[in-house]
Amino acid sequence: MSTHTDRLGTSERAVRRRLDRVTDPELDESIVALDYVDEIAVEGRQVRVAFTLPTAWCSPAFAWMMATDAREAVEALPGVDRARIRLREHLHEMEINEGVNEGLAFAEAFPDADGGVAEVRATLDAKARLARQYDAVEALLEAGLDPRQIATLEFTDLWIDDPAVAFVRERSVGVSVAADPVESYLEKARETGLVADDHPELFRTPEGDPIPVDRFELIQHRCRLATVNMGGQGSVCDALNEARRAENRPPLSPEEHIP
Amino acid sequence: MFMYHEYTYHDTMYERNGEEIFVIDSHVHLWDASKENVKHEGGEQFIQCFYDYHTGFTPEDRQWSMDEYRQYDPDRMAEDLFGNAAVDMGIFQPTYLNEFYHEGFNTVDDNARLADRYPERFVLNGRFDPREGEAGKRELRRQKEEHDIQGVKLYTAEWLGDSKGWRLDSEEAFEFLELCAELGVENIHPHKGPTIRPLNRDAFDVADVDDAASSFPELNFVVEHVGLPRLDDFCWIAAQEPNVYGGLAVAAPLAVHRPRKFGEIMGELLFWLGEDRLLFGSDYALWNPDWLIETVMDAELTDEQRDEYGVELTTDVWRKIMGENAAELYDIDIEAKKRAFASDDVAERFGLRDHYAGADAAAD
Repeated sequence: MSTHTDRLGTSERAVRRRLDRVTDPELDESIVALDYVDEIAVEGRQVRVAFTLPTAWCSPAFAWMMATDAREAVEALPGVDRARIRLREHLHEMEINEGVNEGLAFAEAFPDADGGVAEVRATLDAKARLARQYDAVEALLEAGLDPRQIATLEFTDLWIDDPAVAFVRERSVGVSVAADPVESYLEKARETGLVADDHPELFRTPEGDPIPVDRFELIQHRCRLATVNMGGQGSVCDALNEARRAENRPPLSPEEHIP
Repeated sequence: MFMYHEYTYHDTMYERNGEEIFVIDSHVHLWDASKENVKHEGGEQFIQCFYDYHTGFTPEDRQWSMDEYRQYDPDRMAEDLFGNAAVDMGIFQPTYLNEFYHEGFNTVDDNARLADRYPERFVLNGRFDPREGEAGKRELRRQKEEHDIQGVKLYTAEWLGDSKGWRLDSEEAFEFLELCAELGVENIHPHKGPTIRPLNRDAFDVADVDDAASSFPELNFVVEHVGLPRLDDFCWIAAQEPNVYGGLAVAAPLAVHRPRKFGEIMGELLFWLGEDRLLFGSDYALWNPDWLIETVMDAELTDEQRDEYGVELTTDVWRKIMGENAAELYDIDIEAKKRAFASDDVAERFGLRDHYAGADAAAD
């Protein structure tokens, strides 16, 4: 069955909302919020998206992940048949643009690379999960839960609404908690396979195990460290981005200068 | 000269609340990326990328031009380090990149051109590459004999033939670390930092330091650039390996435009490693030490950061990070140095006699 919007395609706004879910895997921040997206063009059921990264030598694996995620996110819209992604001003833009738009695997686009992107993605996702766990746990502490309650909280003890509710004391008491950090954590917990594994506990050590109560503080400190690392790297990327776009800055090398 | 609210710099040393701070800049270079020396496109990309880091983190009025940046001579370097008493001593950290530059980018022999002129003011570190096998070992011995190196800078992302890098926990690397221990080259400085084009990001992965550090407890591993963008992995390794240190080059300039981020990073480093295992480095000529040291020591933690980390950037902490920790690793007697520096060639040339005027009093 085809609806009115389906036939007409989609809107730039809808595309942007989809792209907002795509993150820079190293910073765990939306590519829309980071201002990487330069252009969105909708023509009927075809969409074109152009984006630029802070430096021309950003890891090709990261660039690949963002480009494929963007394509998938946009093509998941009901009114879109085809999304073409164009990465600009990158050392490997040719390989990436060709590979992503033709649906190649990373190893096909980069025969010299040592491995696929799956492992890189898993490492960065695990870090992003820790950073999000930090925020969710802080929100629960703020809401009045104690470390034992948080460490033993299970996925099924959460009720997602606005605000979210965490049930404690054998589910006899519901405590309101800010929904954003909890939902954002759940999203990464799902992506990293924690929701479907053998443990019912909501929060985990970096290795994926339930958190022993006596290690609660240490684990939270490690989660904080993941947050600070991502923020620190974001600052370095920012500064390079500004330097690169400064007036009078010569192009890095001729083949990189894409009109 | 520089005047910041808590610091007074005039003719004496850096002072913070009236106390002197002796500065050992633990990360300096004398490099050549002149067009004549570039032999591979990677060499051009490398210096251009350095220049992005330079302009991205340097106050506008202190930026170098690209031409100045490609190549500077020992005179300029001496002037930049000592001319306004920015630092008291420097530790040279070589970077070879022989695949990119005909004569290497920043070799121990390049660095010796200045270090030999003022031997009391510099520590000259060497370098090895385990892929060079027996020839590499002979070269390491030569560096020890000719330059009496006490440390090595290691660049695991360096290209060699088809290889795009090596690991510190490989069998070959362990043979070189054994040789270091045997020669008394105790300080190992692996570069584990931001990606520099065109080098492979993953070759700077900090994980290989863990095994090396626990296998060689008699050596000290100063992880340069504190593992950025893997500060988390670095801190966790360092928290468990007492012979792992953090070099602040690249982290320090975040204090310029991003003081809050810098405060957070310092908070984490002090939390996980403590104040005895951090070493300041300017990464000269990536950045000039004079404005950088002023900016870094002027940085303060926010109240929130103080509460969160339970640490303070006190004068004692800065004195350790700026000099005492490096002095400990390199057996430098700071008080003896101060006395000697009051009348050495550097003091003569740059008129620094008064800078060390308090040395005798301090020695009593």
